[in-house]
Amino acid sequence: MSATTITTRINGREQTLRVDNAELLLDLLRDRGLTGAKPSCEMEVCGACTVQLDGLPVSACTTLAVELDGRSVETVEHLDAGGELHPVQQAFLERSALQCGFCTPGMVMTAKALLESNPQPTRDEVTHWLEGSICRCTGYEPIVDAVLTAAQKMAA
Amino acid sequence: MKVAGQSVPRVDGPAKVTGRARYALDLTVPGMTHGAVARSDRAHARILSVDTGEAEAVNGVLEVITGASLAPLDLRFGHVVRDHPALAVDRVLYHGEPVALVVAETRRAAERAARLVSVDYEDLPAVMDADEALGEGAPVLHPERIERTKDEGLDQGGEALVGNLCAAADFGWGDVDAALAAADLVLEGEYRYPMLYGYAMEPYNAIASFEEGSLVVYSTAQHPYMVREDLARIFALPLARVRVVVPYVGGGYGSKSYTKVEPLAALGAYVTGRPVRVALSVEESILTTRSDGARVRARSAFAADGTLLARDFDVVMDSGAYTDNSPVVCAKLANRCFGPYRIGAVRVRVRSAFTNTVPASSLRGFGAPQGNLAGELQMDDAADRLGIDALALRLKNVVRPGEEILPGKRGIDADLPADLDLLTTSLGWPNAPEGRGIGFGISASDAGAHPTSVAMVRLHADGSASAAVGATELGQGSRTVLSQILAEQLGLPMEKVAIVAADTGVTPYERTTGASRTTALVGRSLMAACADAKRRVAELAGEGAEFADAIKAFFGAGGEIIGVGAVRRHGEFRKMPPFWEIGCSGVVAAVDAETGRVRVEQLSTVGDVGFAINPALVHGQDLGAATMGLGAALSEQLVYDGQTLANPNVVDYRVPRCSDIPERLDQILAQRQDGIGPYGAKGAGEGTLNPVGAAVAAAVGRIVGRYPRELPLTPERVWRLAQTEDARV
Amino acid sequence: MMLPSDFELHRPATVGEAVALRAELGEAAALYAGGTELLLAMKLGVLDYEHLIDLKRIAGLRGVTCAGGELRIGAAVTHRELETHPDVVRELPGLAALERAVANVRVRAAGTLAGNLAFAEPHADPPALLVALGARVVLVGGEGSRELALEDFLVGAYETELGEDELIEAIVVPVGAPGAVYRKFQVLERPAVGVAAVGNLVGGVFDGAPTVVVGAVDERPVRVGAEMLDGAALDDEGAFAALAEAAAEAVEPVDDLSGSEDYKRHLTGVLAKRAVQALGDV
Repeated sequence: MSATTITTRINGREQTLRVDNAELLLDLLRDRGLTGAKPSCEMEVCGACTVQLDGLPVSACTTLAVELDGRSVETVEHLDAGGELHPVQQAFLERSALQCGFCTPGMVMTAKALLESNPQPTRDEVTHWLEGSICRCTGYEPIVDAVLTAAQKMAA
Repeated sequence: MKVAGQSVPRVDGPAKVTGRARYALDLTVPGMTHGAVARSDRAHARILSVDTGEAEAVNGVLEVITGASLAPLDLRFGHVVRDHPALAVDRVLYHGEPVALVVAETRRAAERAARLVSVDYEDLPAVMDADEALGEGAPVLHPERIERTKDEGLDQGGEALVGNLCAAADFGWGDVDAALAAADLVLEGEYRYPMLYGYAMEPYNAIASFEEGSLVVYSTAQHPYMVREDLARIFALPLARVRVVVPYVGGGYGSKSYTKVEPLAALGAYVTGRPVRVALSVEESILTTRSDGARVRARSAFAADGTLLARDFDVVMDSGAYTDNSPVVCAKLANRCFGPYRIGAVRVRVRSAFTNTVPASSLRGFGAPQGNLAGELQMDDAADRLGIDALALRLKNVVRPGEEILPGKRGIDADLPADLDLLTTSLGWPNAPEGRGIGFGISASDAGAHPTSVAMVRLHADGSASAAVGATELGQGSRTVLSQILAEQLGLPMEKVAIVAADTGVTPYERTTGASRTTALVGRSLMAACADAKRRVAELAGEGAEFADAIKAFFGAGGEIIGVGAVRRHGEFRKMPPFWEIGCSGVVAAVDAETGRVRVEQLSTVGDVGFAINPALVHGQDLGAATMGLGAALSEQLVYDGQTLANPNVVDYRVPRCSDIPERLDQILAQRQDGIGPYGAKGAGEGTLNPVGAAVAAAVGRIVGRYPRELPLTPERVWRLAQTEDARV
Repeated sequence: MMLPSDFELHRPATVGEAVALRAELGEAAALYAGGTELLLAMKLGVLDYEHLIDLKRIAGLRGVTCAGGELRIGAAVTHRELETHPDVVRELPGLAALERAVANVRVRAAGTLAGNLAFAEPHADPPALLVALGARVVLVGGEGSRELALEDFLVGAYETELGEDELIEAIVVPVGAPGAVYRKFQVLERPAVGVAAVGNLVGGVFDGAPTVVVGAVDERPVRVGAEMLDGAALDDEGAFAALAEAAAEAVEPVDDLSGSEDYKRHLTGVLAKRAVQALGDV
């Protein structure tokens, strides 16, 4: 396998890694115990594998691991690194925005990316942003509510 | 009550929002290898030979396992009929059937090698349509029939199973023909419900290993004890030596009921001696299990005053290549199709047909939505033709609390007229907003499955308590609700209780986590276990003693007190079903006349749950189930193009998205404490789905002027319906 | 599914280096930018390359500039950048709106417009509007650079005029045009029909015939003659009915999971009418 040496920041920690060119970001993360991002559709449709790459949400299932070179990736595991849940996570709990939980890490990261680029989204903007993230359990309404609740929390 | 009835936070919430909740897919075991499946590219063919040479030559490949290579083992599984081989042996019965399992050190090597397995086939004629499969001259999929397992809870009997008849249900009462002849109005129609894929977001996966003479499997199974039985049979092991562990499950909805990939992983471990993971893709998961599609011919006879005189249902289910759970779905479809009405004469015939397609099994609703589409749409159509309000027509015929809808079965433990009032008030019936249509309907499902459940409670020396139950946590909130029951029964705060779940090596027997049964049945067995534990405390230390004190007094140091409880088909659980799960749902919808696109603007549901132990969780189940119903109503369908599936992926199989959610949602709870479960609870989680398809179709029908008879209501289908010159149904 | 096969990764620093690599490696190499289409195809085993030439790190391919009445979009610019870029939002709000609805937020964050055009997947959103706006692609190769109208660049399904040693350097879109809108109809993951309309209304009456281009139906964008609307008012039902009929006749749909041939024809007419009518809201 052809490989490339990369320097990257994973959840705030700078590191130099040797990665196979054909390795997917999702596998790189999960092989390191960061199993929050989940494989599901594997076709960039469902959003279960969403992580933030330099702040933007991407499908880790269809991103090459070498893309981390010189860039920074954040996964759901990093959100409570300071000991407290992120406001998005708190809001998901408060609004009962999860059931099986398999989509939840992706939803949380997608929501966080939205609020970082648009801190006070309208309901329609939240819906549009989440359109590419599938939840099969909740019927979405509690998730949209949670994102709006998180926006309020973060503004306060 | 202190804890029961409260929307306490989910006990699994923090783990799930931080990504730390462990699913089977997140686990690894030391020395784990990876299995990949080579699949049939024929719908029906004889396997002449399998060339594994190229696959074996791939670096890192340990074994390439074929059905024939395992000759001494009987690879077949199935809880009703043991006819489903984990790997095809001499014939393949559908496109996508597993033919070989490659085990390799890496997933990459396994997947690459699986593509190099070369099979020499002799094609056989295939039958892709259920009606054709039951007709003369169709190729027979299972010429040699295997006896049923004679499980009391599963074997529903029926007519002789010959040809491609997988299962049948046939019953009725009264003189249907006379009632049809004498009726003022007879409606007749043919309705179609699509085959669906549950799309639980965690695809089927399992890790298996043989350890010290036991088979240990981590899996996504909803019913680990059923899987344990299949594995024990295949490997000739005692149940005590098969351990199936189910961590958090990434969605189930019935699609993970019964055995899926566990035998494949176990075969890999058996042959290689190494732990093996088999993790399917979504496409492969679709090729593993779908739901039964149905063609429903229905006749309903009414008197001029709206009295429902008779119903006659003739249903053919497309059940795919193997038996799996279709006999039970068949029986349930029969019980659920004619609706919770007083009907003098009923005739129901449901036939489940083998076809050369992906095997069908359980999915949320389980036979109910298929029949409900026809039954409820004929109520709406009859109301129009008789000049009677559709609500009034239902209220005239619907059963009252305690009335039987199936002779000899438990009477209806719900107040359907009151539920219909709540629902139609929420929907604003009959006054639809300008250009909109309202549709609504009801259903009653014989739920709870066979009532066998065992629970164990452990009282600890520090005053805390844990319970071991076999129920799986699929997202429905079973661990939370059971924690609440445990806390309530023992008078403990939530922080001092814990649930250990779904490990057949540790937790006591649980029949299934399906049929909306966990709250009611596991809840009751848990209550019995709590009572048993308290009885022991009283024996040891007298009435009213604190259990921590009793433990200390009895053991001196350490120790614990264990209570066990069980629910079985006995006493108050003798009469089937254990409870009825009511569906009572409606929509307000709009149609874009030019494109045919349907927009559901309001979704109202009544959860007739007896008692909501956790109202927030019930709300989540009711909305989630109804949303799945919207998917089937509007967009979801597996489509065969010739002998292959045209859309085995989430790109072309469209499930509801965020923007599909109605602007107005109203999830009403009706809590009359009339159920058999704890505190008068019944089950939830499926009911609100069941009438949604018919409700959306009725709303659309009221807008375009004729009722649809086939789901999903894709824009094209609605556009065509609006173009049709035919009279109404 | 699905892991891509092994490949060599090349990261040229300049356009010149990229062109040289392309010339050297030929068909064994694929140009790689966002990867949203390419990696998926490689995972599915539909495409297989021994070399990927990563264009993302070439400074000269980045950025959007607006000068001389034209918007120049570098080949490494993502859908997300276009959706939010102030120059695009100001000068071509119709394009920004289209970009905002491409696929999903993750694909928009990674995928590039140039990659989308080069892949030439027929069921894509951008081509119809860009053709209607008279966009050009700037191609650079061993022989130097050339410009092609996007309409000529797109040859068919997954087929373009891109030469074996060429790459897209930029997409140039004239600005200052009158209103431009895109309306699509989608039932699955990609549009079933998308119609772009570019035109000008003076006092509620069309000033000249609007440009109407249908995307996502045929293998490449299809122009619909809209001369019947020249001088027509927004409420001229007869003219719009004629437009819908012309649009429906201009396309050659095929039956697929998004709809059958006659339904898609009908939809094309409906969407053409709606897109042109929406020019009244611009």
